[in-house]
Parts: sequence; C-alpha cells; structure tokens
Amino acid sequence: MLGSLRDGVGFDMLLIGASMLFLIALAGLPLIYNVMMSFQEVDMFTLGSLFRPFVGLENYREVLAEPIFWPVMINTLVFVVGSMAGQFVLGFSLAIFFAQKFPYSGTIRGLFLVSWVMPGLVVGAIWGWILAGDFGVLNVILRGIGVIDTNLFWKSDPALSLWAVIIANIWLGLAFNMLLLSVGLAAIPGDLYEAAELDGANAFQRFWTITLPMMRPTIGAVLALGLIGTLQQFDLFPALTEGGPANSSNVAQYLSWQYSFQLYDFAKGATVSVMMFVLVLFASIVYVRSTRHEVRG
Amino acid sequence: MTSPSLKWLMLVAALALAAIYLFPLYWMYVTSLKSSSEIFANPPTFIPRNTDLSIFPEVWQRRTMSTYLWNSLVIAFGVTTLTVIFGTGAAYVLSRYRNVWIDLGLFFILMLQVLPASVMVTPLYVGFNVVGLLDYPRLAVILAAAAKAMPFFVVLVRATFMTVPRELEEAALMDGNSRWGAFFFVVLPLARNGTLVCAILTFMQAFGEYIYSKSIIQTPALQPASVGLSGFLGPNSTDWNSIMAYAAIYVTPILATFVILQRRIVAGLTSGALK
Repeated sequence: MLGSLRDGVGFDMLLIGASMLFLIALAGLPLIYNVMMSFQEVDMFTLGSLFRPFVGLENYREVLAEPIFWPVMINTLVFVVGSMAGQFVLGFSLAIFFAQKFPYSGTIRGLFLVSWVMPGLVVGAIWGWILAGDFGVLNVILRGIGVIDTNLFWKSDPALSLWAVIIANIWLGLAFNMLLLSVGLAAIPGDLYEAAELDGANAFQRFWTITLPMMRPTIGAVLALGLIGTLQQFDLFPALTEGGPANSSNVAQYLSWQYSFQLYDFAKGATVSVMMFVLVLFASIVYVRSTRHEVRG
Repeated sequence: MTSPSLKWLMLVAALALAAIYLFPLYWMYVTSLKSSSEIFANPPTFIPRNTDLSIFPEVWQRRTMSTYLWNSLVIAFGVTTLTVIFGTGAAYVLSRYRNVWIDLGLFFILMLQVLPASVMVTPLYVGFNVVGLLDYPRLAVILAAAAKAMPFFVVLVRATFMTVPRELEEAALMDGNSRWGAFFFVVLPLARNGTLVCAILTFMQAFGEYIYSKSIIQTPALQPASVGLSGFLGPNSTDWNSIMAYAAIYVTPILATFVILQRRIVAGLTSGALK
C-alpha cells in the first residue's frame, strides 16, 4: 500500500483523489444540496438545519407565478443572444483581421485580452460612467457623429437598461472569443487558400468554402463557451443597473441572487438557480461534444 | 502576397482598433485625473486641462482602501494556493493516462467549469452556515472561489503537462527515482512556466472576485476591494472621479502584471483553452 503510494498507481490516485474530493465537497455536494433545497421550505429559522419540511413543487409553482418571472426569462434570453452575437461577430472579424500578416499583429492582438483579466465590477464601474445619461462620453461621441440628437439614458431608461449591460458584456467577452477563433484560424493550412486563389476564388468565396467549414468545431466550442460565459456573467449587473429600473435589466442569475441575499428567500433563490443549471447543462453538453476529440488528443 | 505599404497600413488600422477597444481604460485614468468640475464639462475634455492627483490619497484614505486591498490579497493568495496544490496534481494525472476513468474525470471537471457562481452561491452559503464556516468568512470565500477557479486551471495546466515528453519521466524512473522524485524533480520543473502563468491568471481572477465575497462576508473590515467598490456604485452614483480613482488604484497592479506577462498569458491560453 505505502509502496504503491511511493512508486505505483497509488501516487496518481492520491493526487487525483485529493483534488476530486475537494471539488466534490465544494461543488458536487452543494449542487445536490441546491436541488434538495428547491423542494424544501427554507426560512430564517430552518436555515441552520440540513433537513427541512418537504414542500414538493411548491417553490417552483411560486416562482413561476411571480409576475416578473417571464419578463426576466425573456431578458435573460435577450442578454444571452445579444451578448453572444456581439462577442462572436466582432470577435470573428477581429480574429480574421489579426490573422493577416503584418508587423506586431500578435502583440497588438494580445493587448485586447486586458479586458478579460479586469475585475468585472471595475468594468461595470467604467462602463457605468461611459454610459451615464447626462455626462457620459458615449452620448457625446454619438451626438458628435450625428447618430443621435438627444442624450440616451442608458441605465435608467427601461428600454435601454438591458442593452447597457449587454454593451459592457460584449466588451468584456469579445477578446476571449477573438483569441479562441484565432487559434482555429491559425490551424487552417495556408496552401488551401493559395490553391483556391489560383482557381480564381475571391475573398468571400474563400471565406465561405474554406474558412467556415474548417472552423466548424472551433465555432461550436466558442458559441457553447459564449453561452456558458454569458450565463455566468454576474458582476456587471450590480455594478451597472442592479437589475432595474423595474427589473427591466434583470436576468435569471441576478434574480436568483436577489431572492437569496436581498429577500432572504433561499428556497426561491435555489429554485431559480436549479432552473439555470438545467440551461447550463444543455450548453455544456454541446460544449463537451464539440471538444471531445480534442480532449482525448 | 501583401505589399509592404499595405502591411504598414494594416498596422495603423490595428493600432486604431486597439485604441478604440482600450478607450474605456484610458477614460478611467483620465477621469480620475480631472477635477470634479471638469468631469461635468460639456463637451468633455479628452485630455485633462489641469491634472489633479490629490484624489488618489484622498480616496485611499476615505474608502479605507488599504484594508480592502489587503483582504483582496489574502483571498487571492488563498485561492491560488489551494488551486495550485490540488489542481496541479489533478492536471498531471489527467494528462498521463487515457481510459474511461480519465474521460469521466475530465467530463466532471468540464461540467464544474461551466457552473455559474450565481448557481453555487445559495447552496454554498446555506451549507457553510450549517457547518459553521460563516464564522470564518474569508476562509469560506477562499474555499468557494478555489472550487470555481480550479477546473479552468486544471484544463490549462493539463495542456502544459501534455507537452512534457513521457520518455523523460520514464528515464527518471529507470534511474531509480520514485514517482514522487520523478514528478517533483523532472516533470514539474519542465512544466514550471506554464503552471506559473496559470497560477498568475488564477490570482488575477481571484483578486477581482465579487459574488462570493459580497454574499458571504458581512463585516466591512474583512471585505475585498471589489465589494468596497460596489459600496459607492449604483444607478444614481455621481462621484465619478472618486470611483474612477478607486478603480484605477485597484486595477493598475493587474494591468501592469498583464502587460509584463502578456506574451506568456496569450500563449498559455491559446495552447490550453480549446484542448
């Protein structure tokens, strides 16, 4: 036994076992506990006990009956689709631009990644100032180039508040999209393009018949990661709009937190987060499938 | 294929794109240097007229930033230590074998990587309450955030271990090393750079951690800088030069680290993120 720990598979089992135990204790068990809580009655009196009265689907019925539930779900959908579309289209365009051969392309491309290492709350604070209604610099720029006539109140106008968060989130996630897509672009053999060029294919045809098909696995992974990433985005909401005004910029992940930590309704918080988990599970199955052959490689 | 002048044109275009993209950072620094009256000038000045540095010591004092930043450091250090200790071993084992169990382990790790913190924060809070960990809120945050950071670390470091030739390890074993010896004195030194970059990335992410700290730590003296910043943010905030000065003090170390290590960070991410 001890000898195996020193020289054989026991060593591997020790290394992987310790980390797996840690992850099961702090991620696996809480996840199961979360599902359990969504079927229980949780209040301040029963908060400290492990087992509480079982209420069946009562929490789910209550959450679904909330007047804000469906508007928030639609916001979540708009937030996810809007953020992903912006991050992907801009990220892909930049990835193609930086795939061209010119001096310092790699270094300049790398600079874009600073957004990714910034604390989300700081990004939210900066965009909160840029998007401010009266003195925000974005309104000044948009007026200067003639796009708008009057100031837009990005954070306090219910029609725009969700877009304020989406804009900030696109800025935050664009660079990571670009980086992953750049990896995919770099893996396409250059002679394919040369052959197509000799055959007289123009740039658009080359993109359509070579780039897109060759990039399909990468695009699948990037889109799945984008979906997961936007569902993980939390910090921008408290920093920018706090879900308001009147929940016009609230999304599932923030609503779940509000239930638990502002209204102290932990059962509802757990219920919403179980619903979110089902969504994330779907996205991650897509992701795992799209990267499976690379994982084995 | 491309003519020399076109290349330089593209370089100029690339610099312009980067300038547009990084404008928010510039705006943070410029705002923090402006006086409070100049901030609300219309039209705004893109280069501050008379820079005023007094806001930095003032915000540092008034918002007790030394306490907040110290707590951020404690949390980031704790998260990184736990992640490196547990994650490196897992990444190594997951890179050395190919069988059903390894596939299952990887699947488990990938699943944990996609869990939003907002899904985990409610059960963790209630669970920590049951076992009494809420009395040590910073430790509770460290444990929670380490579990969140570890999957990504494992995926990236595993890619690093894949580049270490197995033959070197086998040779070390032939020479009479134990598995411990081969791991610590042969494999780990060869994977040192990649592991270090991932550790620094973990540190930078944990330095900005917000949701667990906000939910778990109630005592202001134990809260990190992100929670301290949220204290004077909100839909109706107007104190913008203080907020930007706070933000600038908070992120400048992160930005400096990033700029110094930029090449390595990008290389580490590109080799690992999709594999």
